Amino acid sequence: MASNPMQQFSVHKIGPEIKIAGIDLSFTNASLFMVISASIILLFLFFGSKEKKIIPNKIQLIAEMFYAFVAKMISDTAGSKAKPYFPFIFSLFMFVLFCNMVGMLPYSFTVTSHIIVTLIMALFIFIAVTIIGFIKHGFKYLSIFVPSGVPVVLLPLITIIEIISYLSRPVSLSVRLFANMMAGHTMLKVFGGFVISLGLLGGWLPLGFSVALTGLEILVAFLQAYVFAILTCIYLNDALNLHH
Amino acid sequence: MKRLLAFTIATLAIRNNLFAAEAGMPQLDPKYWASQAFWLILVFTILYISISKFYLPKIKNNLEDRENKIKKDIDDANKFKELSETRLKEYERILENAKREVIKIHLESKNTLDKDIQKKKETIEKEIEKEISKTQKEIIELKKNSISEIQKISENIAASIIENISGDKLNESSIKATVEDVSKKTIGKYL
Repeated sequence: MASNPMQQFSVHKIGPEIKIAGIDLSFTNASLFMVISASIILLFLFFGSKEKKIIPNKIQLIAEMFYAFVAKMISDTAGSKAKPYFPFIFSLFMFVLFCNMVGMLPYSFTVTSHIIVTLIMALFIFIAVTIIGFIKHGFKYLSIFVPSGVPVVLLPLITIIEIISYLSRPVSLSVRLFANMMAGHTMLKVFGGFVISLGLLGGWLPLGFSVALTGLEILVAFLQAYVFAILTCIYLNDALNLHH
Repeated sequence: MKRLLAFTIATLAIRNNLFAAEAGMPQLDPKYWASQAFWLILVFTILYISISKFYLPKIKNNLEDRENKIKKDIDDANKFKELSETRLKEYERILENAKREVIKIHLESKNTLDKDIQKKKETIEKEIEKEISKTQKEIIELKKNSISEIQKISENIAASIIENISGDKLNESSIKATVEDVSKKTIGKYL
């Protein structure tokens, strides 16, 4: 049934089956839209940095605004020590943003609406941040679980809570993005289905909702990319500048 | 609201049939998880490398170039401003000097002119005085002369009048004495 709102998230194979060591690594529609999003980013950055003008043209100005936006975000949340990680955060932000935005096009596929994609990104960030923390501070990094100024009686409880909250970071980070994208697209699909099923007489209200939701979803697409990037910055800040 | 909806959908899907893509969430079907992970890592690695090695340095250079250019322009502008200010001060100093010079020259020329005029005035005054005294002498001479001339003429006229009236010729010396007497009395009125 084509009106199943979850059908838009189904992954199917494109082209021949690729199997390496018994694992199915076929090129799918998800892979296709990852490649499309990355290509759009690279094309945009190519034209944004092609001409070195003192007074930038529009596309160069937008590329520089993205640069300044991410640079400011990093320096505000993680300070100057996070400068070496700027390319990674920039790539992450651009990738999530463009995957979300490409997903807003009708008949396209939203890469970030899949838990496996967001979970891999979140796990990578979590592991990398933990490794950076241990490299920078050694075993003193464990003091992140022991906040200062807590009464001794409460300390074991607080420490356990801190450890749980630290370990749940990849889950919250990945589920936040995945759930937002999936819920938004599902709702768009549901209201789109209402427009068809209610017909010419009653379909106008859900159509209006659909239009409004599309605007909201574009905002959410940007906001979730921003949140994903800024939370990465905050985690990085914890690892780089041990405040506890 | 949206997250609640998503959560409801997710829990429903998990409770009903966890790994059934057809009925629940295709996201929870592990069939293509490896493929998605593989392609994600591949695409993101390529994206990251090309962004970090190629595009970001370019954009950064461009931004820095612009900042340097602006800085340099501002520095240049400040330098030119300072230069113009020193020039202005120099100009004002020159102007001041020139003004002083003008006043000095003006005073000097005025003094010399005054002296010159004074000198010329004195010489002219002296000449005028000389001329006046000369003329006065001449006038006095003329007066003296004219009195004797007038006496002679009036003697002649008196003689001829007497002759015409009486027909006698009078003694010249008596006429002369009378004329002299009269003229002495009246000549003061005219001269």
